[in-house]
Amino acid sequence: MADLPSDLVVAGVAPSLDETAAAKVAGRWRGSLGVTIPAALVLLIIALCFIWPIIGPVPPPTGGNILNASLPAFSPGHFLGTDPVGNDEWSRILYGGRASLEIAFAVQAIGIILGGLLGSVAAYLGGWRDATIMRLLDVVIAFPAFVLAVAIAQGLGPSELHTIWALCFFSVPAFARISRAATLRVREQTFMTAARLSGTRFPRMLLGHIAPNILPQLITFALLGIGIVMILEGALSFVGLGVPPPAPSWGNMIAQGQSTLSADPRYVLLPSAALFITVVCFNLLGDGLRARWSSQ
Amino acid sequence: MSCTPAPLRAPLAARAVRAGRLAGSPTLRFIIRRLLTAIPVLLGVTFLSFVVMNSLPGDAAQELLGAQATPAEIHQLEIKLGLDRPFLTRYWDWLHGTLTGHLGHSLSSGQSVGSILGADLPVTFELVAFAFLISLALAVPLALLSARKPNGIADRLTMVFSMAGLSVAPYVLALVLVYVFAVKLNVLPAIGWVPPGQGFGQNIRYLILPAVSIGLGLLCFYTRLLRADLLEQMQGEDYVVTARAKGVRPWRVLTRHALRNSLFGLITVVALNLGTLLGATVVIEDIFGIPGIGHELLQAIDNRDIPVIEGIVFVFAVIVVVANLAADVLYSILDPRIRYGRPAE
Amino acid sequence: MTESLLEVRDLRVDFRHDGRVVRAVDGLTYSLTRGKTVAVIGESGSGKTVSSRAIMGLLPPTAKVSGSIRFDDVEMVGLAEKAMRSHRGRGVAMVFQDPTRSLNPTMRIGGQIREAIQTHEKSSRAAAHDRALELLELVRLPAAKERLEQYPHQLSGGMRQRVMIAIALAASPKLLIADEATTALDVTTQAQIMELLRDLQQRLGMALIMISHDLGLAASFADEVVVMYAGRAVERAPTQMLFAHVRMPYTRALLEAIPRLENESHALLAAVPGQPPNLALREPGCPFTPRCPSATDQCRQHMPAFEEHEPDHQWACWHPCADAVAS
Repeated sequence: MADLPSDLVVAGVAPSLDETAAAKVAGRWRGSLGVTIPAALVLLIIALCFIWPIIGPVPPPTGGNILNASLPAFSPGHFLGTDPVGNDEWSRILYGGRASLEIAFAVQAIGIILGGLLGSVAAYLGGWRDATIMRLLDVVIAFPAFVLAVAIAQGLGPSELHTIWALCFFSVPAFARISRAATLRVREQTFMTAARLSGTRFPRMLLGHIAPNILPQLITFALLGIGIVMILEGALSFVGLGVPPPAPSWGNMIAQGQSTLSADPRYVLLPSAALFITVVCFNLLGDGLRARWSSQ
Repeated sequence: MSCTPAPLRAPLAARAVRAGRLAGSPTLRFIIRRLLTAIPVLLGVTFLSFVVMNSLPGDAAQELLGAQATPAEIHQLEIKLGLDRPFLTRYWDWLHGTLTGHLGHSLSSGQSVGSILGADLPVTFELVAFAFLISLALAVPLALLSARKPNGIADRLTMVFSMAGLSVAPYVLALVLVYVFAVKLNVLPAIGWVPPGQGFGQNIRYLILPAVSIGLGLLCFYTRLLRADLLEQMQGEDYVVTARAKGVRPWRVLTRHALRNSLFGLITVVALNLGTLLGATVVIEDIFGIPGIGHELLQAIDNRDIPVIEGIVFVFAVIVVVANLAADVLYSILDPRIRYGRPAE
Repeated sequence: MTESLLEVRDLRVDFRHDGRVVRAVDGLTYSLTRGKTVAVIGESGSGKTVSSRAIMGLLPPTAKVSGSIRFDDVEMVGLAEKAMRSHRGRGVAMVFQDPTRSLNPTMRIGGQIREAIQTHEKSSRAAAHDRALELLELVRLPAAKERLEQYPHQLSGGMRQRVMIAIALAASPKLLIADEATTALDVTTQAQIMELLRDLQQRLGMALIMISHDLGLAASFADEVVVMYAGRAVERAPTQMLFAHVRMPYTRALLEAIPRLENESHALLAAVPGQPPNLALREPGCPFTPRCPSATDQCRQHMPAFEEHEPDHQWACWHPCADAVAS
């Protein structure tokens, strides 16, 4: 770090100084919470949902014995009890988490790749190509996605795959917008002009120059969006899409639990709590990474 | 409900009136240009939904007659409803009708789409407006309290709670609220809706839980946004130093100077939100049994009631377009730098 | 000797920056009498702005101020914020460099001036409005009545600066600090604003601190000059004396850098060679050493003290210049 802030920056208008100082004080406290703790929690959740059911003593989430219906928590063999048809609730939570997370990861991955590419290409090419792509995206955005989701549910039948398609209608345009904005910003920088002048062709440009500069923002956006996608998946379950029962997802567990809400709220509360905790962790992770990356 | 392409014409008319006062005819031209490019978007959206709905198995006739109907009966009804005509013809008819103000009639109930919309839209609007009101009314003071002492206790608490609030799914909140307030405490109704005509107090009562369900997420989002903007103003802007140099108390610097400038950004975001929010109300209306546009939409899809669906999709799309445009334009209208321009000196 | 309005003694300002401590002002001492003008001259990073903000308590929370600033017999260093606020605007006022950014773009001129008035005295909106009009006329802003209803961007730079001055004068301060007040203006406007300031000062009996990097400006308008370098005062004298008998090589270099009409056209402008020092890496000895033509080992190792070596003329230098011709 070569220069010293000049007089005026140091004296009155010192956003960098003031804020950095405040952030440093808080950051020393928040820094550890910033990325490491949320990352650890996220990994824990993923391990629980994906790995533990395979290696641990977890009964299957479907095909339960009706005689075991609605057992309370801490019953022998079912530490969270069972659902109204006898499936182990803990197992449903774990497998449900797996389904919800799978869907969210897939949607965000497709979003980053497809949407990121689309937006970046649009921004880079500029002109009428940019305008056309953005118009098309506008159509998708203006389209009430719920109509589409319900239509898919009714036309093609609900399934995890179809849910992913429906949710991509939300994520791809969103990523395209972000990617386009980020690419526009990067495009103006001098190293880009230099690369262009030295004859770098587009794919190389994209991979070598653009991608590394917009990836942090896209990744942060992806992480912050996982929570949103998981919540949306739940919403879709309410209108008939989502993972079809009896296979559990947190979304469809909440939607189904609505009918027994007054009698036994835990069928709503348990998946809700799981969803909440997971979303919080992903949000904290996204926030922490954004703070870390933007202060560089 | 006057069904001239009112949503399209009204903004133009209003803007034209202000054109005299607007320093920037660039602004007017910008608006017109944007509205023009919105037309293909509207066409695209309505056409797309037409395509989607027609590709679904079954049609209105089948839904109306039920599973027991014979193919002959269905076919007869289809002719009666005009469903036997070619696809493009039907779209063109609809388009033509809409542009001249006739949105058609529901295939299931025969009611005019216009009157259906007229009944349902205000309900949803009331819900959404209520949610916005709650969220904005609380977001501003919370953001101010946070920005007053960054990293202080109020700030930390606000950040923690807003993070939590953002992470709650609206429908989860809805169900929890119903459980606590309706089932356990029995102070608020769980489902239903009372029109304002029949008692404003009751009307509000039925809307509280749904509005809070939607509003909490908004509240947290706006609080964080406003707080960040306020801090940026307070720490980075020269006019803040001037205000302090005058001896103005810090709270007043925050509210009279920074807040003014930050509100512009917030209003822009609120306008943008309006578009996306309409879709989100679908689930909430479903849970609380609110007879709004989302509820209507779900029913119409079930009934394959294409005119109703098209009408709703059209209105949604127009609102989204106008809201996005408003977000872009509001900033320039509110900012005195652009509103008053530079007179000769 | 008339009573001094402002006495700065051994002022030090430290900033916590990136884990390090940077000393922006390192022992500044000067005083100011009522009604007089002092010019504080230096390059960026010399500490001139920081020291003036310290007088008003406008430094960010990362700054630590020590030493003494006595204004009107009140010690400002360590003063509680509430008491400090009553001084701002009323005792000491400031005009900033960039009037474009220093005025709130979304608030009318009238409102901003009224705020300056109503912060320190209870007056009705109408009364404050009238006073605001008076102030604008005082600073010779044409079409004052219309200007009150306008927004800052509707005025030119020079006009905005007049508004800033009007705001500063609103509570009749005893001391006005003009922090590079004319640097952002074109030369003609610069002269007008300086004339205005001088006129106002004489009429209102205010003391004025002019902060600038322009020694030439100081020559025309200041009674005394304090030259700062690397956070310290390195020379101080009444203006005439400074120009006639410049002692500190840095001041001498500044003087020579002023373009003159007598020089040949296209003659090279003398610049002070080198860069201002990095305040984070302080070394023993005089900070000007690397750029000083008269530097010796003694300069490198021992910091010269800022002392009165001749009547009413202080400097900090081991090898001051001898009397030379300076205009």
